[in-house]
Amino acid sequence: MKRRDFLRNSTAILGSGFIGASLPTALWAEDAPVKGGTLIWGHSETTQNLDMHQTGTASSGRVLQNIHSSIVTVDKDLKVIPGLAESFEVAADGLTYTFKMRANVKFHNGAVMTSADVKYSFERCKDPATGAVNFEVFNNVASIETPDDLTVVIKMSAVNAPFLSRLAENGAGVVMPKDSGPTQGTNPMGAGPFKFVSYEVGTVVKMARHDDYWEGPAFLDAVEAREITEPTTRLTGLRTGELHMINDIPLDRVKELQGDATLQVKTWFPLNFDFINLNHTFEPFQKPEVRIAFDMIIDKEALMQGALWGQGATTASPSFPTSASYNHDLKQRPQDIEGAKKMLAAAGYPEGSLNIVFKATTNYPYHVEAAQILVEWFKAAGVNLTIEQLTWADWLSQCWVNKDFQMTMINFFTLWEPDFLYYSVWNSTGAFNFRAIKDKVIDDLTTKARITVDDAARADIYKQVQQQIWEQSHDIVLWFRNGTIGAQPKVMGLDTVVHPNGSNLNFHKVWLAA
Amino acid sequence: MTYVINRLLSVILTLFLITLVTFAVTNILPGDVAMMIMGTQSNPAALAGLRESLGLNDPLLVQYAHWVTGLLTGDWGNSLIFKKPIVELLIQKAVASGIIVAMSMTIALVLAVPLGVWAAVHRDRWQDTVSSSASLLGVSLPDFFWGIVMILVFARALGWFPSSGFVEPSQDLWGTLQHAFLPSLALGLGLMAHLTRMTRSTMTGILSQEFIRVARAKGLAERTVIWRYALANAIGPVITIAGLQIGYLFGSIIVMETLFGYTGMGWLTYQALLNRDLPLIQDTVFLIAAVVMLTNLAVDLLYVLIDPRIRLG
Amino acid sequence: MKRFKTTKGLIGIVVLLAIALVAIVGPMVIPPDAATAMDMHARRAPPSLAHVFGTDQLGRDLMYRVILGARTSLEIAVSAVVMSIVFGLPLGLISGYFGGFVDNVLMRLVDTLLAFPALLLALTISAVLGPNVQNTIIAIGIAFTPFLARIIRGEALKVTQMPYVEAARASGTTDGMIMVRHVLPNIRPALIVQGTISLAFAILAEAGLSFLGLGTQPPAASWGLMIQASRDQLDIAPWTAVVPGLAVALTVLGLNMLGDVLRDILDPRSK
Repeated sequence: MKRRDFLRNSTAILGSGFIGASLPTALWAEDAPVKGGTLIWGHSETTQNLDMHQTGTASSGRVLQNIHSSIVTVDKDLKVIPGLAESFEVAADGLTYTFKMRANVKFHNGAVMTSADVKYSFERCKDPATGAVNFEVFNNVASIETPDDLTVVIKMSAVNAPFLSRLAENGAGVVMPKDSGPTQGTNPMGAGPFKFVSYEVGTVVKMARHDDYWEGPAFLDAVEAREITEPTTRLTGLRTGELHMINDIPLDRVKELQGDATLQVKTWFPLNFDFINLNHTFEPFQKPEVRIAFDMIIDKEALMQGALWGQGATTASPSFPTSASYNHDLKQRPQDIEGAKKMLAAAGYPEGSLNIVFKATTNYPYHVEAAQILVEWFKAAGVNLTIEQLTWADWLSQCWVNKDFQMTMINFFTLWEPDFLYYSVWNSTGAFNFRAIKDKVIDDLTTKARITVDDAARADIYKQVQQQIWEQSHDIVLWFRNGTIGAQPKVMGLDTVVHPNGSNLNFHKVWLAA
Repeated sequence: MTYVINRLLSVILTLFLITLVTFAVTNILPGDVAMMIMGTQSNPAALAGLRESLGLNDPLLVQYAHWVTGLLTGDWGNSLIFKKPIVELLIQKAVASGIIVAMSMTIALVLAVPLGVWAAVHRDRWQDTVSSSASLLGVSLPDFFWGIVMILVFARALGWFPSSGFVEPSQDLWGTLQHAFLPSLALGLGLMAHLTRMTRSTMTGILSQEFIRVARAKGLAERTVIWRYALANAIGPVITIAGLQIGYLFGSIIVMETLFGYTGMGWLTYQALLNRDLPLIQDTVFLIAAVVMLTNLAVDLLYVLIDPRIRLG
Repeated sequence: MKRFKTTKGLIGIVVLLAIALVAIVGPMVIPPDAATAMDMHARRAPPSLAHVFGTDQLGRDLMYRVILGARTSLEIAVSAVVMSIVFGLPLGLISGYFGGFVDNVLMRLVDTLLAFPALLLALTISAVLGPNVQNTIIAIGIAFTPFLARIIRGEALKVTQMPYVEAARASGTTDGMIMVRHVLPNIRPALIVQGTISLAFAILAEAGLSFLGLGTQPPAASWGLMIQASRDQLDIAPWTAVVPGLAVALTVLGLNMLGDVLRDILDPRSK
């Protein structure tokens, strides 16, 4: 099936997590994996803090995922499955979680994992003094008990339905050896498939195989994550053979690389979802008609082709496409510039009367490209849109923290957990509600979902939330963007690299052909 | 000697001014490192916790006093994003940058001096125009343009040099030099323009002087006159200008180091700024300022040595 | 030799006039929206009859963009350089002429500015004052001032040691008069050289600032912004860098030719 057909038939995309892999499939399907070799990976970003708890950026997490293991994880349908715990149980009242840990799991220092390590790790993450990014995951945790070496009992002070799936996220659920906290920032240690070897700031992170890994040792002897942030340089490194693999092929170059028979290209979706944000404290956007009219001005498919070079898929639902809460009935409003003009005039904003500043961050160059395309459509609709480019720090402080903007655009990575997504982003008290949206319907629904233990009923509530977001056009949901990897033909097992959350990379099952 | 002491004292005064300005400016910058660490995960509660654990909540005056006393006592603090002692980072990155600064300066001088001499000897003829056009073309396109051209030609097409990265000189000195060459060449081309023009104008001045005429009249070979006599007198001012370019170089290496994944001081400063890592910004800015100012001091002293007409005082 | 110089100056003037004409008249003549109109079917199209200079990553015609960009780029470069002269010239002149304590104080200020990274300055201006053309000019102007001041100071210092200045002093001419009558004319050649080079640097500085979000805001066009945008596509669409790059090169060469001639005409020593 061609890529175009995928785009037309959105249900086909939603059926599976991965699309568009142009791999010479025969190459690895029959060969038996070979042990040995060092994978040289051209990493697109700079690793900062090596302490998994203190790391909020996807970039550091992408590397550290190989060093740590989590108590639970998710399968490709984002269902929570055992990790370092071989089983887990939630009491009927939703207040007690019991984890049975695997026996004989060895950390990189040779110590055997026990329930005390779990207790230590979770309490470290919960302690505000640690500065853990995910500390609020443990907000409702009243106590962590360890009745024996392999049992962990967590008691909650209030029902928190998403707790288990939040543990499957970066950082929150990793188990570190007891008392290793102070050295995690310089010598990260866990129970993952690779041991930390060395780190030169801005240059390279080196890791070596952990022979006692609980899921069996990896094939590779070592992984070298070389940090090459400049896209052209990274591409050149792959082409000259200096690098075995790179992540984040620039979107505009994916087609070109796919046409290159000497390289493998893997694209998957979604890496993240993007949406256009309207500040609800800005007077015109207090009227739903204005927000709907703005939605109607935008041709999402054309914008996606323009800004992402076709490397994505448009969506009206921000739910992770493989998750149960994805609302398949929602469709994006088609472009109707004349209709939008009429709606705006009826709302009291005739042609030429609206002057809007669109703040776009240079951190995501495709946001700036998208904004430039929007300017043209808005001009046709009689709205004068001007662009202000902001560095990431300025965007965060102006838009995210101080809510000082009219219109902007942002994306989220790995927000597959629906409570985390809908409560944080759209509830009026949500931590990520930087548009100051106040919608009683959404508030009630998201609060109700939090204490609804039944999974199907919860998913249904979230579908109603999406319906409401769309009807009111609180934000304009655009698309899911593809993630990309390019590699030499000898790199095998590429389709095991990407975690179901679409962001993390794991090299446990990767091997290099001779 | 008094002059030297005076200049040294003024360097110290300027460095103190630098600490004040840097501290003020970094604190005007909106946003903080806690926000950058959390990114779009940040929410008020989480930010407050992280700020506390990073020690960002101290009063400004306390922070400033802490920083300056730290500078003096050798305790330069820790980077908040990289979680490493800043001194350790600075030593590693300063070595990396020192190598390309020295290399690019050498390349620039080796190319610019002959080109400038050639232009001066053939003043106002086609050679002059070619020389100045060639050197100006170098500055008409930005550093990164030449950087990418280098990567495409020497790394991708010819495969002579690695396309990116940095190797510790203690591990593999030859590797270090190989990695440093392309960024240095690209930087050198940018520096060359100014130096070529400087060489040309200094040489033109010297070639019209009496002692050159005397030398020629004595029947010395033209080559000897130009390269032995004239250039010896012109090289001082040229090196002076080269020294002044050190400050400019610290601006250009940011782009070049990022482009080549050759992570030195420029890259570190840029990361510190983008991530609002205030201790790291302050220390890098201070160190670069100190280096630039000491170079300027050296240049001034050189000026005095070369040109005795300038009175000390 | 004389004829050669005049021809060179003439070429310089013609080139500059042509560029100025493009910058002033161009935006009035080209069809409105021509520089921002996108064609998604002709992205990064190489130069052809339909698009003489090719198109950029959004399928915009580079010929129209380079014409529209001329005005913005020259406006930024000229304003920033003028700003740096307005502040830097008196600073350097006074410092070099009086020397001693005054020199010491002023040069410490200049040193502070000189050692202060331009990048930090640009980021602060962008974050506090907002990204637009006016603030870009301020950022470049401030960054260039200490360089100019230092060069002027060096020249003024040299000139002040000259016998004719000492003679003027002895005859009781006021300091202000000496500076204007004797010192200033003698540092003009250096000022012109520095000014022409600074113009080139200013156009390119805007490219660097665009990378940080400061500078011309898209979809408006400037040479700096165009050069910056070419960064990620140089290997597959070199014309996106070469077209604005040649525009800068032509301007710089023109300025330089004119500068050389002007310098010789204005240099009192060459009379």
